[in-house]
Parts: sequence; structure tokens; C-alpha cells
Amino acid sequence: MRKIVYSFVIIFAAAVIFSACKKEFLDIYPTDNISAFGVTSSTSTAMAALNGIHRALYVRYGSQGRGGIGAWYYHIDEMGEDHVFNYATWTTHLRWLHRGANDSYNEGNWLMFYGWIANANILINGVGDNTSGTQEEKDIIVGQALLYRAWCHFNLVQMYADRYVPGGGNNQLGIPLMLESTTEGQERATVEAVYTQINTDIDAAILLLDGKPRTNKSHLNVDVGRGLKARVALTMGEYATAASYAVQARDGYELMDSATYFLGFRIGTESNAEFMWASQITEDQTDKWANYGAYVSRNFSSTSIRRNPRSIFSVLYDQIAPTDVRKLLFDPTGDHLNLPPGIEIVSSAARFPYTNQKFIAVSTSDSRVDVPNMRVSEMYLIEAEALARQGGNDAGAAAALYTMAVARDPSYTLSTNTGQALIDEIMIQRRVELWGEGFRWFDLKRLNLDLDRNGGNHSSSINNNLMFVPAGDNMWTSLIPQAEMDANPNMVQNPL
Amino acid sequence: MLQVMGQTRQVSGVVTSAVEDQGLPGVAIVVKGTTIGTVTDVNGNYSIEVPTDATTLVFQFVGMVPQEIEIGGRSSINVVMESDDLYVDEVIVTAFGTSKKGAFTGSAAQINANKIEMRPITNVTTAIEGAAPGVQVTAADGQPGSSQSIRIRGFGSYSASNSPLYIVDGVQYSGAISAINPIDIESVTILKDASSTALYGNKAANGVVLITTKKGRPGGGKLSVNASFGTIGRAQPEYDLIDAHDYYPIMWEAYRNAIAVPGVDDPADVTAASQDASDNIKDELGYNPFDVPDDQIVGTDGRINPDADFLGDFANDRDWLGAVTRTGQRQNFDISYQGGGDKFDYYASVGYLYEEGFIKDSDLRRFTGRANVNFQATKWLKTGFNINGAQRVSNFAQTGGSTSFVNPIRFTRGIGSIYPIHLIDEATGLYILDDNGNLQYDIYDHRAGGASSGRHIVAEIDWDEDKDETTTLGARTYAEISFLKDFKFTTNVSWDQQDLYNVFYNNPLVGDGAPGGRVYRQFNKRTSVNFNQLLTYVRSFGNHNLNVVLGHESYQYKYSRLRGARTQQIADDNTELINFVTIIQSDSYSDNYATEGYFGRVNYDFANKYFISGSYRADGSSKFHPDNRWGDFWSVGLAWRLDQEAFIQNISFINLAKLRASYGQVGNDAGIDYYAYQALYSLGYNNQSEMGIIQDKLEATALVWESNNSYDIGLEFGFFDQLFGTVEFYHRVSDNLLFDVPLPLSSGLDSKTENIGTMFNQGIEISLSWDAIKTQKVRWNISANFTTLKNEFTKLPQEEIIDGSKKLMEGRSIYDYWLREWYGVDPDDGMALYRAEDPDDADNRIVGSDTLTTDINNARYHYAGTAIPDLYGSFSSSLSAFGFDLSVMFTYQVGGLVLDYNYQSAMSSGTYGTGMSTDILDRWQQPGDVTNVPRMDASQTSNFNATSSRWLTDASFLNLRHLTLAYNVPASVFGKVGMSRARVYVSGENLFLLNARKGMNVQQNFSGTTSNVYTPSRVFTIGLNVNF
Repeated sequence: MRKIVYSFVIIFAAAVIFSACKKEFLDIYPTDNISAFGVTSSTSTAMAALNGIHRALYVRYGSQGRGGIGAWYYHIDEMGEDHVFNYATWTTHLRWLHRGANDSYNEGNWLMFYGWIANANILINGVGDNTSGTQEEKDIIVGQALLYRAWCHFNLVQMYADRYVPGGGNNQLGIPLMLESTTEGQERATVEAVYTQINTDIDAAILLLDGKPRTNKSHLNVDVGRGLKARVALTMGEYATAASYAVQARDGYELMDSATYFLGFRIGTESNAEFMWASQITEDQTDKWANYGAYVSRNFSSTSIRRNPRSIFSVLYDQIAPTDVRKLLFDPTGDHLNLPPGIEIVSSAARFPYTNQKFIAVSTSDSRVDVPNMRVSEMYLIEAEALARQGGNDAGAAAALYTMAVARDPSYTLSTNTGQALIDEIMIQRRVELWGEGFRWFDLKRLNLDLDRNGGNHSSSINNNLMFVPAGDNMWTSLIPQAEMDANPNMVQNPL
Repeated sequence: MLQVMGQTRQVSGVVTSAVEDQGLPGVAIVVKGTTIGTVTDVNGNYSIEVPTDATTLVFQFVGMVPQEIEIGGRSSINVVMESDDLYVDEVIVTAFGTSKKGAFTGSAAQINANKIEMRPITNVTTAIEGAAPGVQVTAADGQPGSSQSIRIRGFGSYSASNSPLYIVDGVQYSGAISAINPIDIESVTILKDASSTALYGNKAANGVVLITTKKGRPGGGKLSVNASFGTIGRAQPEYDLIDAHDYYPIMWEAYRNAIAVPGVDDPADVTAASQDASDNIKDELGYNPFDVPDDQIVGTDGRINPDADFLGDFANDRDWLGAVTRTGQRQNFDISYQGGGDKFDYYASVGYLYEEGFIKDSDLRRFTGRANVNFQATKWLKTGFNINGAQRVSNFAQTGGSTSFVNPIRFTRGIGSIYPIHLIDEATGLYILDDNGNLQYDIYDHRAGGASSGRHIVAEIDWDEDKDETTTLGARTYAEISFLKDFKFTTNVSWDQQDLYNVFYNNPLVGDGAPGGRVYRQFNKRTSVNFNQLLTYVRSFGNHNLNVVLGHESYQYKYSRLRGARTQQIADDNTELINFVTIIQSDSYSDNYATEGYFGRVNYDFANKYFISGSYRADGSSKFHPDNRWGDFWSVGLAWRLDQEAFIQNISFINLAKLRASYGQVGNDAGIDYYAYQALYSLGYNNQSEMGIIQDKLEATALVWESNNSYDIGLEFGFFDQLFGTVEFYHRVSDNLLFDVPLPLSSGLDSKTENIGTMFNQGIEISLSWDAIKTQKVRWNISANFTTLKNEFTKLPQEEIIDGSKKLMEGRSIYDYWLREWYGVDPDDGMALYRAEDPDDADNRIVGSDTLTTDINNARYHYAGTAIPDLYGSFSSSLSAFGFDLSVMFTYQVGGLVLDYNYQSAMSSGTYGTGMSTDILDRWQQPGDVTNVPRMDASQTSNFNATSSRWLTDASFLNLRHLTLAYNVPASVFGKVGMSRARVYVSGENLFLLNARKGMNVQQNFSGTTSNVYTPSRVFTIGLNVNF
């Protein structure tokens, strides 16, 4: 009997020891991620991946001074002459200290744009016959992804390569063109090749997006595609193309009236017919300290804004006509006695001359401002500048400028300037209109102009004495990030 | 013959062996000074008639330390006899069992309860420092309850975890070590080599720390009460920083030199610049604490105005560090009791600890309880349970982010000495009071940017909150069935859960919550369940001894997190979410992880002379792709007890000579992402009301655990019954190292994980223990240990990987510095000089045969040394005499370099407002000055302040790690109360540190860098320990 019991125990013990757990015991999946396989298997998940890119434009990338595309815009502005600091805080771009190979903004921006390109490529290359869904849905997704790819390459090539010289033959080193999902380091394509690819992508996108609807203005549509084409053509000096596409792009949009303009740039761009493309930030998708509005608005109470509200270059301010609504958006006294209704500035905020009230956050504690990615006024400015620089159509240029200028200033009369004088007038209008939105430094670079901050309200000590940079200096082009140099054997560095 | 019979009484009790927890038969007991004696019976019991005037009983047993016990008024006296030949008979806890040290083929060190009990230790990892060679630690964070990071035999991994596996009562422990009351700990065993750790399979590569809690000993019950009180302060002083009268001139110089430099620029420009500086320096800095006008604080000669005195309340309101630090207090009470009989034993304890850190609003309050019962139900069935619970409430100092505004160490170290804490009227120097007549914090933007303007650490510590309430519960139970005389079948089930509830609140007035106020509430739950089945066979045939274990084990871990956050506070003093308006976050997720393993071990020895052991484990982990999930791990160990051989036994002075060697292969899957092999998109990128996802990482189906192949060879020796020690050599190769292979950023991702590297660690470990004096009354033991470490990569995924201040290359170690090469300061103009990379750059300067540059972007990188020490270890002394016990331990390191980032920040050439080291006073001031501190110059901060080999500092140190002085109160004092032992003691930790620079936290990081962390604490306690 005992033997039977003992044998039983041994067998039982052996059975227990060698009984495995269920096979699925070790199959475990995350709850805060989803599998990457199958993202392009249906248009609904592909659309989610596209919306991920839309959202990625305004999330924080590490430091609060890196709030996505909005931070890119105000950093570009800071590097020009029209954006004046009143206190030495967050001064990296103001002082042009951003271009070093080890600078964290430098590396961060490179990775940010190429990250968006990588996400776009998954959609461009993966959404096709094997994706379930309608052809229209696929076109909408791929078209937007192509525009993103073009737009990101465009931003990168303007920063990390020498300028595009109009007329073609730009064989100077550009940036790597990423057209597929690969981890192999690519060579730098020439600037010419980069612009060719950008245009190829935009042209293809326009075909796909033509006639297709979009959910809201955080998505890109054919008008944004045409607007981007115009913007790129202007940079390339292809003025006929620029003017023609600018006119097509703005079809269906309207300039804001003065009353709306005076209220300032805020959230709620969906109902503002002027905005063609904007990142729209909701209450629970905000990053309080990293938002665009946390740095450029006048009324949000951040340490940065309280100590260093952003001012306009006084030399530029003086050129704004007194009857222009935009004159009201900058206060030479800094007192801001004429704020839009319901808007206040905290009493502890420091006051400085020429500060802006162009950008208005939701409140002193809510920094949200929709990020303006493309507005119709830019289209008018592109048309005017392109026609004026093209030569032989000053009347057309003046007419294009008139439509926008008179919407801002009812006393504006059709310009009688011609030639360089007309170009100068258009550039003044452009600088005032697009202040804070990330254009001026790119304009200086594409036009091969000097940076000259002298003669106005710039403080040389705040600027660290960076008051003048001659056109063509190496400093206009950023160094390739050291991490890219280290990991990509095909990468070539820019001159120091 | 008549014996004179005086009055007698009976004394009885049980004598047990400390080594084996069993009654000791044959112990001789004699009433001192008489011939009255007896011997313990087979169970260790005795009973003796003692004359009433007798005072002492003497207990003796061969091989055990004789003891003289005062009788006092007691009638029941239990005694624990300790082995005289402590070394070979010490029982060490091993994987799935125990072993006598003399029979063990692996490399292990054990810390027993007596080394822990009188130290004011909150987290038992503190006891590991210095206890054994081959174990390196970082300084403990000053936050009460923090663990020290531990590395056993070097650094086995680059991307995955380097921390050892923690096993508590036989089961993997993923909770907080500070939830375990040190009073409950019987031993901490450190397993170092493959042979001792192989049974833990794919988790064992970094070594194993086994924590075993107490269980009862047979004999009548014993009650132990422990109470201590103490104070907590800073172990290291702060860096020496300049005060206000030096601060203004230094900053003035930074301003002036940015415009024009004396001796270098046009003198007219220098004069103008000096005037500009005198006029405007106050605007840059923001505050004038002196009683002279703003433009007369510093003259155009660069000197502080000799009449400048502090104006009014400015004088005493600038001690920011003093305002955020304090002397903390520590109170600790523990009660434990234990006992047992033939069939059962029990141990139970309850403990309370309250410890305040030296930064205000950081503390820990802990309640613990434990009950451990074992019951031999029948001859063949034994069972038991071990249940523990702990409740900890901690308030945290915000030292997590080195550069964050709210880090009190960074804030106070990084603020100039001119700034007041409270609002002061700059015209009168008097405090500006609020309506209730109270001082107000200066939370406004008056300070310079470098002085954390707009933020206020004193206010934020006062008004913010970061509090954890953590409940830990654990239970273990088992059934042990003995059958067929030599077999035992055991099954162990264990369950550990840790629930943490955290509130993180930022006030509405100043800081990250301003304006409006913000609160985060988070609930984390961690549960782990372990189930194993073991079959053991133990048999001796003549001189052959065999011990076999077979087993199967499964482990499951789950982590869940729920978070909510809102802003816009409604009512003051209420930090619940319901009191806030706007939702800014609401999410939850959970992580799961599971492993399963089959294992076996065979130990065989012949005549206690020749030992061989082998073990094998097959392990599977959920982190890897099903095709690559399972691995084999194994080891072999050999030992030869030379001292049991006749030819050695003839040499009388050799007590012990044991030669051992082991080789094995173990794995490491810790620190690898739970879903490492899966290609994933992240959720949570919604675009308004549309769902959004974004690419997170690429797939890695080929990923497997890292594996370690190591061997070691050692000699354990004992001479003259006095000098014991071990010398061993270890060589540990880590293969299949996981690397986040940097991808070209243009691919959109910065890295991809692959197994693609090899590294080895090797070195020599020596531990020595010398019983200088070993008599009845006086015992003195001195011990020391020494470790060398060489770490080197032999294979990397790419030729070089640059990681912060380090560069990895084949032939180099994991912590070799790769820095720009600092040269010095040019005496002509005070510019910082580096060795030039590009020899033809226009900014270069030639000095002798050196091509140098002032442009940091052209400064050449080079290998500048390593953070790994040449030698490290500890010295201890343990002296018992006349009732006093004094034990002291020093830890030390020789060699290695620290990259002192904190010092770098304090030596800025021109960040207005930031704190400045007194060394800045040596800066270059005019042509001809020979110094190694560049000139002050606010426009040159990127060149002068840059990270380079300038900041490397010798990492050698000597630390008086702990000291305890105890007095054993004689029995005559307390005997009638029924106490069996009483001890009073004073104890201290981190009492004295000698290192290369005051303020430098030399042990902060294995990688040798310093940052703004909660510097370690110095603790003094006095305590009382009483046994009944």
C-alpha cells in the first residue's frame, strides 16, 4: 500500500514538474501601442497614421522650447531682424547659436522633420492595392503624405544647405532625400535634385487631392498643395509658376476683415476663412509650456513672455501706415491699452516698447494659439512679389498687392511704384503681414540679403552683438547634426 | 562525605547552534567557580541546580565559542552557541537551497543580521556597500528610503540593465527594497559567479542578491525591542561659492569683457565698456542688495564699491540653501519575537520608522509587519507561510531632473549670492509685508535669467506637494513532502503586490502650475506571482554525498498605471481632481511580463574533500519573439579542500585551503523593453476628435537576451586560525550585447535595437580578515577587501559610438571619456584654448609645437581617461572589549576620473545670475596673467564653458562609511526584569569624506559624471536594543 502511495506521489511530482504552462503564457502584447503590421492594411488605420502626423506637428519634443512646428516658426523669425527680444532668455536662435553640430535644437529639428517624412513614406509606399477602402480615401491619405514629405524636405533644405540660386544648376550639396523606409544612410542629394523631388511630390499630390474633401483645416487639401507649390516656386525664383499657383491656391478663401484681424491670431481657425492650413489645439491636446502661444502670444503668463514679450523691429513698425489695422497689433509704448475684449495681461508682466498683440492665447493660463501653417494673404504676397520680380508686369503685381493691402488698410490706394521700389513696398507688406510666422529669415536667405539689425530697437547685449551677418556667410547654413554624421557614412559636413 | 547543601534553585533551558538552528546535544554547562555541571540532552535541553550565590554559567562545546552567561534572577536561560570555526561552517543561502561555505564551489559573500541590526539603515542595499570585493555601488540618494545602485563584477551590459537580480525569500522581487524592514532580515547573500547564479537562468548575468527574512528558532520565545533616535544632515558640504561682494565685480567683468577686453582692445573702447558695465550691470542682474546706487556698485576699475554694505534686510535674506535644508530627524521602533518547538517555529515583527531628509519636505514614514510560521505537520509534511505588509508615505524633493527649475539642489547651487528670498523694497531695504503683516516670497521676475527668475524654490517646496502612499503586501506559502527517506517534493507559491498612490500638485502662484494650479494623481499597481515545484534528492553513501534538485518555475508580472490631471484650482487647500476645472490628461495602460523555466542542479562531493556541482536551466521570456524565446543556461563548479588532504593537514598553521573554479553561461533580459521584438506604433497622437498613431519602433524578431560566459578561479585560505581570506580572479564575457544601434536621423528614427556587441570584465578580488585578538574578553577583527576591474569592448555594432561624454570603441571600456581636449588659457587675452582639429583654421593659435584654437567647434576630441577606478574596496575594524563593541568601516577608491558637470556650471564665464565657485576668482584679468581660468566674458560662454577635459577630476576618495559603538549592559543591571540582553549604542553613516574637490559627489554615477541630485545624507543615531 505504502509503495502505491509513494509511487503515486513520485508520478504526481514528476507530472507537476514537467507540466508546462500554457503556450500562450509567454505571448504578451502592449496596451499603449499597437502593432505596426497592418497600419496600411485599411484606410481607417492609415488615416489614423496620417492624423498622427497632424498631431505630431504640435507636440513637445523634449524641451519646452521645442514645441513642434510652432517653435520652428518663431525660431526662424528670431533669426531675422524683425523680431526683437527685450530680455536675454531662450536666446539660442536670436544669437544664431543654433547651427552647431552638437546643438540640441539642430539635431532635434533634423530628426523631427525626418521623422515626419518617415511616417509619410510608410503611407506613400504602403497604401495601395492591398489596402481596403475606397480609392478616394486612399488618394486623400497618399496626397497628404506626399505634401508632408515635400514640405519637410523643403524646410530641411532651406536650413541645412546653401540657398537655391534662381536659374537652375544648383549642384551644391543639399540634404538626403528620403523616399522609402530604410535605415541605410543616404548621401546628400544636390539642392537641384531636392527641389526637383519636392516639386514632383507636390505635383503628384495635387493630382490626388484635386476635388477631394477634408475633415478640417488641420488636414491638407489641394489648395494647400498649390499654395506650397507657389511658396517653393518663389524660393526657386520661378516667378511665373509662383504667381500662377498662388492665384489658384487661394480660390475659395477670403482675407479676414479688419475687425477679425484686430482680435488677433487665436484658436478657432476653422471658422476663419483666411486660414488654409493650421494646427488646431484642443484643451486636452495642449502642451502648456511648449505651445506656439507660450512663446509668441502677449497675454499668456509664462516666465518667457512675462520677462521677454516679443517686439517688432521699430524700423519696420514705422513703415506701417497709421490707418492699417496691423499698426494696432504692435504697441510702441508697450502698455497695450487697446487689447481685444476679454483679454488681459498679468500685472507682473514686464512692459517694453513695440511689443505685439498679434498672437492672443486663450487666457493668461491657457497658452493655446492655433499654429498658422498657411494663410491666403501669403498667396497674395507671393503673386505680387513674383510678378514684380519677374519684371514686365508691375501693374499686375500692384493689383495683387492691392487686394491684400486694402483689406488691412481701407485708406490704401493702388501702388504707383515700379521696379525695385515696388518690390521694396511688397517686401515691407510681407514682413508686416507674416510677422512671427516663420518667413523672414528664409526670405533673407533666398534673396541673398544681409541680416542687418541696426538702426532700431535691437539691444546688442541681448543679441550678444549679433547685429549684422553678411549674405553668403557660412553662418546662413546649419551644420549637419553630429549624430547623423556619426551614424551615416555617406554624410558630408558643411563648412564650419 | 557530606556535601554542604546551601540553598539552590533550578535553572533550565535549551542550547541551540547558531549554525543549524537545532538543539545542540552534549554541551557542557558548569556553574563558574564550582564543579557543579551538566550536559545538554539530545534536544539541547538542560537543567541544573544552581547555588543562590552563583552568578555565572559557562557553556562549552567543541568547535564552538565558549560563553559565560550571567544568571541574574532568571530560571530559564536559552543560549545560542556560535561556531568557533566560523569560516567553513557558516551557512550561506544559495539558489534554491543552502550550503556550508566550506563546501561551496561558487563565489558568494553573505552579510548576516548582526551586521545590519545596529546601523540606522532604512533600505538594506545600504548594508551591501563595502561588504564584499567585486561589488561596486553609487552613493545613496538623500531621499529617505532610496536604494543604492549595485554592480557585481563590473558592467555587463550597455543598453540593458546592469543591476543584479533581487530575490526575496526565494522569489524574484520587483517591489521597493525599502518596504522591507531591515530588522526582519536574517541575511543578505551576494552571488557573484556563474556557478552560483546559473539556476536563475536568463536573469542572472549581473549577479544575484538573495535576501532571506528571519524565521523562528527552537527554544522558548524571545522578544526583541529596538528603539533609536537620530539626526540626518548633509554628508558632503556644498561647493564653495562666492558671496555678494565678489559676485557683482565678477559679473561686471563678464559684461565689460563681452564688449572690450583690457590689453586686447582699444583702451578707449575698454573705458567706454567699463562705464557701460558699471551703469548697466544692475539691470542685467536684477537686484542691488547694497546701500549704494545701482551704477556705483562696481567702479569702472572693476572693484566693488568699498562703501557697499548690505541694505537693510538684504543682509540676512540671501541664504537659499539654508532656506531649503534642515537637520532631519529619524525615529525607529521595532518589536519582534520568535520562538519554536519540535514541530513549529514562528517569527513576527512590527516596525515603525520616520525619517526626514535634509531637504525640507522630503521624508518617509513606514509601518511594517511580518509573520513567518513553519509547521512540521507530520513526519513527512511541512508547511508554512510568510506574510508581510508595509505602508510607506513619502514626500519627495524634486531632485529627479538635474536641470529643472524645481530641483532644490540645482536652484540653490545655481543662484547668485545677491538675491533675496522675500520681497524687499529696493529703495529702503525693508521687507514688503502683505496685508497680514507677513513676509512674502519674491516669486516675480526680478532676477537675471541665470538665477531661475520667475521661479522660487522655497515657495515651491512650501506650496507644492509630491507624495506617495504605497502599500506593499507579500505572501509566501509552501508545502514540503518528504518521501522515500531521501526525496523531498516542495512547491512554493508566492504573491507580491505593491499599490502606489501619488499626488503631484503645483501651486497656482509660482512654478509649473502657475497660473491656475495643477494636480496629477496617479495610481500604480504592481503584482507578481511566482509558482515553483522542486524535487530534491539527498543521499550519502559512505564518503560520497549527493544532492540533486530538479525544478520548474513560472513567474508573472503585471504593472498597471492610471493617471488623471487637471488645472484651474477652485478652492485653496484641496488637491483632489474634483476641485479643478480643466482636464489635461486622463489615461491608463498596463504592462505584462512572464517567464518560465526548467532547471536542475547536481552537487556531489567525496569525503568533504573534492566537490563538483553542475546546474542547468532552460528559460523562456515573453520579451522575445516566439522563435527566439527559449535559451539554455548552465554552469560547472569545482572545489578542492586542500586542508582536508593529509599533506596539508600536517602543516599546522594552515586551517583552510580551498581551491575552486567555476565556468558557466547565464543570461540577462532585464532592462529590455517588454515588447522588444515587436514593431509598434504609439497610441495617443489623436488630432482633435480623430484617432492618431505614430511610428514608434521597428521590429526586431531576432532579438535575444544578452548572455554572459564567465569563469573564475579562487583560493580561500586560513592561516594560524587568525588570518582568513580569499583571492580570486574573474573573467566575465558579455555577448550578444543589446545596442540601440544609432540610425541615421534622416531615417526618421534615432535607433534600432540589435544584439551586436561583446564586452568583458575581469579583475582580481581579495578579501582578508584578521582576528588580531581573540580571547574571552577581547576580540578584535580587522578586514579589508580590494577589487580591480578592467572593462573592455571587443565587438561593437559600428566602429565608434559616442554617448554623451564617452566614446565606445573596440579596445576601450564602457566609461572611457571622449572629450574635447582642453589646453589652457592664453595669457595674452584670457581666451580658453583647446587643441585644434583642423590645423588650417583661421582662428588657430600656435604655441610652441601645439596647434590650438579658441573656437570650440574646432576643438579636437580625444580619449581623456576613464571613470573606472584602478582599485576600490573597504576597510573595517570590529573590536569587542569589556562589554563594548566598536565597529567601523571605511570605503575607498583609487583612480578613475569624475567629469564634474556641477563644477562646470559654477565656473561659467558669464551667465548672469547663476551661482559661481570661489575658483572663478582666479580668472584671467589682464595680459600676462598665467592661470587656468579663462577671463569672464558673457559673449564667449559657448567657447569657454564648453564640456571638455577641463572638468575631469580625480575620483579617488576615502569615506568613513559607518561607525557603531555599542555597550552591552551587564546582566546585573537588568537581570531581575527578565531581560536577557540589553544594548545601548550610537551609530553613524557617511561621517567623513575625503575627495579631490569640496562639494563634488564623487560616487554619484558609475559613469563618473555629476549632476544635481539629492546628495547623500549623514546620519547619527543613538539607540537601545533589549531582548527578553
